Amino acid sequence: MNKKNSEGSNAINRRNFLKLGAAGAAIGAVAFPAKAKEEIINKINEKTAGDFIKTHDKFPYEINEDYKPHSNKDIMFTGSFWNFHSEDEDVINSGKEFSYKTFMHFEEKKGFDQLSKAMNAGGWALHNTVSPLGSQAISGSGILKWDQYRKKEGEFIPHHDWINESQYQFGNKQEAADAIKRAARLYGADLVGITHRDKRWDYTDFVDAQAIMEGRHEDAVYGWERFPFEPKSVIVMAFEMDYEAIATAPTDIQGAGAGAEYSSMTKTAYQLSIFLKQLGYHAIPCSNDTGLSIPYAIAAGLGEGSRMGNLITYKYGPRVRLAKVYTDFDFTEYDKPIEFGAMEFCKNCMRCADACPGKAISFDKEPSFYPTHENKDNAWYNAQGIKKYYMDAKKCFHTWGEFGTDCGSCMASCPYNKPDFWHHRLVDKITAAMPGPVHDFMREMDELFGYGDVGNLEKIDVFYNPKGRSYNGH
Amino acid sequence: MVFTGTETLFFLLGIITTLFILGLIKYNKQLKFNALSWALLGTGSFLCIFCIAWSVSAVLEGVPRAASMGMVVFGIPSLLMLLLGRRFAIKKSK
Ligand code: SF4
Ligand code: SF4
Repeated sequence: MNKKNSEGSNAINRRNFLKLGAAGAAIGAVAFPAKAKEEIINKINEKTAGDFIKTHDKFPYEINEDYKPHSNKDIMFTGSFWNFHSEDEDVINSGKEFSYKTFMHFEEKKGFDQLSKAMNAGGWALHNTVSPLGSQAISGSGILKWDQYRKKEGEFIPHHDWINESQYQFGNKQEAADAIKRAARLYGADLVGITHRDKRWDYTDFVDAQAIMEGRHEDAVYGWERFPFEPKSVIVMAFEMDYEAIATAPTDIQGAGAGAEYSSMTKTAYQLSIFLKQLGYHAIPCSNDTGLSIPYAIAAGLGEGSRMGNLITYKYGPRVRLAKVYTDFDFTEYDKPIEFGAMEFCKNCMRCADACPGKAISFDKEPSFYPTHENKDNAWYNAQGIKKYYMDAKKCFHTWGEFGTDCGSCMASCPYNKPDFWHHRLVDKITAAMPGPVHDFMREMDELFGYGDVGNLEKIDVFYNPKGRSYNGH
Repeated sequence: MVFTGTETLFFLLGIITTLFILGLIKYNKQLKFNALSWALLGTGSFLCIFCIAWSVSAVLEGVPRAASMGMVVFGIPSLLMLLLGRRFAIKKSK
């Protein structure tokens, strides 16, 4: 995993407190010059990180033999917006409601008024202009196109969106991984991991929105034969969403927080694909399209699965969006899945399930191989056969339709969603080191201490407060 | 601002920690703490410093409820420990 590039700022950063140790931090802040302190921090971190973050050689969750890769037609958005599940009326209606309300503002409803809608529109603007269907899981949208152009002799193409004839050779695999990750962070990713391409996580087919719009329904779905190369690696990137924006869930300001990162990830994934093309390799930037982002992110060591279904990262909790780049470059060091206790914590926590206005999140104590929710017999939208918590995406989408925005209450309520602050990192580490029964207590304390309440309109005032949180002092 | 809220906090915590240590050394010279007093005063001092760190940080991040809870959960036990430790130390020295 990589660190956010703003970490070099004045704020004492994410892991430093424990690196220093509780009392040592206080003394260290006074007594050591910055360079010496950094060295001590690194040493202690090296010694302690392994105790809390375990790595796995294989995908960390059990998968049944009957697991089938997911079809692009069975994603909630394609099922609804592109009518692949027209038999599911609720899903179709939720899509209509959602689209309709997206363009309306309600002055009497704080968080859904013109100001909030404008904030939301601005957040999504870049995504909506340059890759409008990426978030709907449709491949090849706008700059996320599958083109692998080879420049002709003498041709002048200043945007560099073509594959260089000369293939750059890295000295070793680590050097290659470091360079790819550095590029991704330079372009705007907060976390980066590299994993093998895994057909289990790729969509089995692809929806052709253009063909549907042109009335060519027989061409509405196509297969991997159109994919322009054999992918070998998938680079997965996570983008931190604004803490104060997500805390306002379920409002349009929360939606703006999500949209801002959809815009960032489109830009970053595209830039990273150009980097790889200019190194002489094939590359395709992806948003929610082409494959399931969450299992790919787990495989790439970015975080763990969770009760709410989202990825939980060590650094930002569930408050991230994910993008991918498929490439045929494979001379690289691959990352391993990590475990820091999030799935274990989920067994006792259930705060997201309590907070979910749509009652879409499971209250089951243990994860299961198949959905257990009330729509389980027609859960075409769940990728089934993996041991996990099954979220009822239909109910979730219904709630989005009611709000006209993408809710996000689950993320806002999660104890792993905290601003970058030493005492939260300390609690995270203690949580990871503690056995299950203590997690109940930690969850209660989190609530008592006043974190993670959703639907609190004061959070909107905090979002707009020009002083903001003063921990970074600026 | 040159220093952030957190940096200022940790600078002050450094000073407070030093004062606590000096205080413990000074009173140990006078009262000759036994193991129980050391345990109570040491833990109490650590909790007290932790309480200051937690509560100020919670105010800085804009969650005053976490600050007050911090005072209850860490502050009250720390005061009790410091008072008890002092009492044992004085009793023993008499
Ligand atoms: S986004 Fe909202 S409705 Fe959907 S699962 Fe999360 S809390 Fe529930
Ligand atoms: S809120 Fe609790 S149960 Fe839900 S994902 Fe976060 S840690 Fe897991």
